[in-house]
Amino acid sequence: MPLGEIGRILLALVAVLILGNLWFRLVEWTLGRIKRLFLRQKDPPAWHPLLPEQEENDDT
Amino acid sequence: MGFFSKLFKGPEVDMEKSAANAKKMRALFNQVVENGDSYRLIFGYTEDVSRFNYGFVHGSKTKIGNLIVGWNEADGTIVVVPTVPDLSGCGDPVWYRRSEILKAYRNKYPTDAFVIYPDKKGYIAINAYDWLDDENLYVYVSQEEELAAFTDFFLNHFAKK
Repeated sequence: MPLGEIGRILLALVAVLILGNLWFRLVEWTLGRIKRLFLRQKDPPAWHPLLPEQEENDDT
Repeated sequence: MGFFSKLFKGPEVDMEKSAANAKKMRALFNQVVENGDSYRLIFGYTEDVSRFNYGFVHGSKTKIGNLIVGWNEADGTIVVVPTVPDLSGCGDPVWYRRSEILKAYRNKYPTDAFVIYPDKKGYIAINAYDWLDDENLYVYVSQEEELAAFTDFFLNHFAKK
């Protein structure tokens, strides 16, 4: 197989990969927006940040 | 130690980092669970695998949820606290008391998980290992001894049919 043809096939595969990725991101983004629209009323889950360590007093 | 013996030994646990994270796990757990010191702790995680088919693109997505799992052998209670790999915070705890749950068993297939059904509506499958290397996905902690103790507790004192 000539090198030019191999190059064209590889290029086509890369194009399919890029297109697939773009399509995946687009559908994910759209679904995310739709979900957010419906779940807007829900309260976010409670979150407790880790408290900074209390310094120990050794001078007793 | 030679280069090859180091290479074949595989990844080693950074015990200092592991101990620091174990301390953080304890601090977070005690922050949200009353009388937290009466519970022993391990790190576990849940896996939510979903398939998608977006026309010519299909595959699967896996969501990992990190958990601090505490257990009290005397009470027959497991407490699960959601957290993140860097242990910067945690969510609200969920209690699973043996007297109140529907069933609990250890799954072997497709994954080796501790499964708890609080009722007929839902379940939680907790995966736990001695140590997981990927710090971006899991809490970096070595817990061989604790996991063995939890497995023993779950199988011999908590499992319910």
